[in-house]
Amino acid sequence: MGSPVKTDKNPPPPAGGAAAAVKDGGAAAGAAGLLLQAARRNMRQYGMIIALVLIAALFQIWSGGILLKPQNVTNLIGQNSYILILAIGMMVVIIAGHIDLSVGSLAAFVSAAAAVMIIHHHVPWPLALVACLLIGAIAGAWQGYFIAYVGIPSFIVTLAGMLLFRGGTQIFLEGQSISPFPRGFQKIGNGFLPEVGPHTNYHNLTLLIGLVVIAIAVVQEIRDRRQQLAYDLDVLPRNFFLLKLLAIVACCVAFTMTLASYHGVPIVLLILAGLLIVFGFVMRNAVIGRHVYALGGNQAAAKLSGVKDKRVVFLVFVNMGVLAALAGLVYAARLNAGVPQAGINFELEAIAAAFIGGASATGGVGTVLGAIIGGLVLGVLNNGMSLVGIGTDYQQVIKGLVLLAAVGFDVWNKRKVGS
Amino acid sequence: MRIARAARLRTAAAMVATLALGATATACGQSDNTGGGGSKDGDKGTIGIAMPTKSSERWIADGDNMVKQFKEQGYKTDLQYGDDKVENQVAQIQNMITKGDKLLVIAAIDGSALSDVLQQAHDAGIKVISYDRLILGSENVDYYATFDNYKVGELQAGYIIEKLGLKDGSKKGPFNIELFAGSPDDNNTKYFFNGAMDTLKPYIEKKQLVVKSGQTELNQVTTLRWDGATAQARMDDLLSKSYTSDDVDAVLSPYDGISRGIISALKSVSYGTGKKPLPIVTGQDAEVASIKSIIAGEQAQTVYKDTRELAKVAVQMGNAVLTGGKPETNDSKTYDNGTKVVPTYLLPPVSVDKSNYKETVVDSGYIKESELQ
Repeated sequence: MGSPVKTDKNPPPPAGGAAAAVKDGGAAAGAAGLLLQAARRNMRQYGMIIALVLIAALFQIWSGGILLKPQNVTNLIGQNSYILILAIGMMVVIIAGHIDLSVGSLAAFVSAAAAVMIIHHHVPWPLALVACLLIGAIAGAWQGYFIAYVGIPSFIVTLAGMLLFRGGTQIFLEGQSISPFPRGFQKIGNGFLPEVGPHTNYHNLTLLIGLVVIAIAVVQEIRDRRQQLAYDLDVLPRNFFLLKLLAIVACCVAFTMTLASYHGVPIVLLILAGLLIVFGFVMRNAVIGRHVYALGGNQAAAKLSGVKDKRVVFLVFVNMGVLAALAGLVYAARLNAGVPQAGINFELEAIAAAFIGGASATGGVGTVLGAIIGGLVLGVLNNGMSLVGIGTDYQQVIKGLVLLAAVGFDVWNKRKVGS
Repeated sequence: MRIARAARLRTAAAMVATLALGATATACGQSDNTGGGGSKDGDKGTIGIAMPTKSSERWIADGDNMVKQFKEQGYKTDLQYGDDKVENQVAQIQNMITKGDKLLVIAAIDGSALSDVLQQAHDAGIKVISYDRLILGSENVDYYATFDNYKVGELQAGYIIEKLGLKDGSKKGPFNIELFAGSPDDNNTKYFFNGAMDTLKPYIEKKQLVVKSGQTELNQVTTLRWDGATAQARMDDLLSKSYTSDDVDAVLSPYDGISRGIISALKSVSYGTGKKPLPIVTGQDAEVASIKSIIAGEQAQTVYKDTRELAKVAVQMGNAVLTGGKPETNDSKTYDNGTKVVPTYLLPPVSVDKSNYKETVVDSGYIKESELQ
C-alpha cells in the first residue's frame, strides 16, 4: 500500500507535561501516565466503552440476566443493524463537516422500491438488491452534486431529500404495506450462517469464525506493538499489554460462545463486520479517508494542500446513499414488508449514535468504531429499557439525556484540557 | 500533576453521570413496570401486551384495562407501546418472546409487518391473540378479538340516511355528501368503509346522495395514520374545489379525530353560523373531545365501542388458551388474513348522538360526567 498522505489534524501523542512526568516518575507512575495519555487522546470513545459496559451490566442485572442471553444478543444485533449501518455512513459525513437528514427517508424509499420490484414485479431478489443499491448511489450522487458542486449547504439539500424520498415512498406504496418477501431476501435481515459439520451443542461455523477473529486480533496487536517499539514510540508496559490481550480474547470468546449457543452468526452481523473493517481501514489508512478528515478539520488548509474537496464531498454523499439503501434493504428484509412508515427518525438515531460515539459538530473528528459504539449504547438502552418494561415515552427522555450528557461531557473535557 | 487529577476527575464524572442515568431509569421503570407481583398468584406466567401508541387515549385505556383484568386472573403482565413505529413494535414483541411470556396480545401498528416475529413466537410455543386490528399474512395468529367493524360503517352511514330524512322518505334530496376513510395501512379501514358504502350505495345510485367531488373509491378517500390534520387539509381542498356555490349536507367520517379535523375545515368557511348549519358529521370511538363536540351541536354522531368489553374478551380468550380450553368465538368465516381465516369474537358497536350519550357512554362509566364539563 502506498504511503498515505498524513493530513490528519489529530496531533501525534502530545509530548506535554504528562510525558515529562513519566520520565522521572518510575515504572508505576510511567504506566499510569501512559494509560492516562491513551485515555485522554480518545476520551469520549473510552468513556463510551465504559458507559456501554456499565449500561449493559445495569440492564443485565435489572432484567434478571435476560439482556445477555444468546437469543437476546442476537435480537440486539438485528434490532440495531440498520441504525448501525446508517451510523457508519453518518460518521463519515459528519467527519467531513456535513450532515445528512435524508437517510431515514431514503432507506424507506429503497425498501419501498425493493418491495415493489420483488413482490409486485417478481424481479429476482439478487437483481433487485443490486438495483436498490444503485438507486441509493444515484440518490446520494444527486444530493452530493448539489452540496459539492452547486454549493448548497448539506442541511438544506438533505432536508429537501428527506421530503422528496418520503413522498416517493408513499407514491410507490400508495400508503399500503407490501409483503411478503421471498425467503432468500428475508435472510439479509434475519438469516443465519448455515449449520455445518458434526453435531455439537454449538454452531460450528460460528466457533470457527470466532477462532479466526481471535487469532487475527492477537497477531495484529502484537505486530502493532512491535512496529511501535521499532519506531521508538511509547507502548504499554508488558504486563498491561498482556492484560489487554487477555481482555480482547475473553471478549471474543464470550461473544462467540453466546452466538454459537443460539443460531450462530446472523448474516447481518457479517455485513456489519465487513463494513466496519473496510471503513475502519479506509478512514485510517487510505488517501481518501485522510482527505475526509483533512476537509472536515480545516477546509481551506486541505484545499491548499491539494485535496480535491468537491470530489471528496461528492463521494462522501454517494457513499451515504449506498449505505442508506443497504439499511433500507436490511430493514425491509427484517420486517418482511415494505411499509410506508419505514425509517421515520432514523436520521436522528444515526446522528445521535455518531455524536455519542465521539464525532464533533465542527467536523474532522471521530472514528467508525466510535459510531458503532455510540449506536450500541443507544441500542442496548432501547433493548434493555424495553426488556424491563419502560415505555417508549420515558425511553426517549432517557436517550435525550444520554446524548446531552455524552456530548456535554466531551465539550467540558476539551475545555479543561485546553485551559 | 494537575492534568492527571483533571483526568481522574473526568472519569469520575463519567461514572457519576452514567450511574445517575441508571438511577433515573430505575425510578421511571418502577411506575411503568407492570410485571411486578401484586396479584394473587404469580406462577401463572406473564402476558405480553403490545399496543400501538400512547398518543391516542383509547389505546392507553385498552392497555390499562387488560393489565387490570389479567392481574385479577392471577397473571403478570408486560404492557408496551410501540410509539406508532413498526420496528419498535417488532423489537418489543421479540423481547417479550425472549423474556418467556406465555401469551401475546397484539394490537398491530402495521398488520402486515409482523409475520416474521410471529413465526418466532410460534417456534417458542407462544399463542397470539390479535387485538382490534387483524394481523395479516401470518398463519400464527390464533384468535382475533374485535368489534364488528363492518357494523360500525353501517351505523355511521345509517345515521346519515336517517337524519337527512331519506330513510323514511320524508325528504327526497338530493343531498351533497363527502366521504372519508381511515388509514390505508389499517386492515379495519376497509371494513368500516365497506359497511358504510354498502348502506349509502343505493341512495347514491338513485342520485338522492351526491358526492360532488366524485371521490368515492377507497384509495381516494383514505387518511394516512388517521391523522386529523391530514383530513382537515383534504376537507379544505374539497370545500374550495366543489362547494363554492353549493353546501355540503353530510360528511362520512370514520373516526373522531378525523371528524374534528373536518369540522375545523368547515368552520373556517363559516359553516355552523346563522343560515349555514354544519353538515351531519359522523365519527367513531366516543372520545371525550368529540362527546363534548356532540353536546355543543357540532359533531352529530359517534360510534361507541366499549373497549373495556373488548379487553374483557381478550382476557377471557387468553385465559382459555392458557388453561387448555377453547376460547369462545362467534365468527369463523369473515376475517381472512390472507393466509388463514382467524377465529374471531365480534362485539357490537353502539351509535351515539346528543339524544343518547348519557345512557351509553356516561352511565356505563366509560366517560365521567365531570370530564364533559
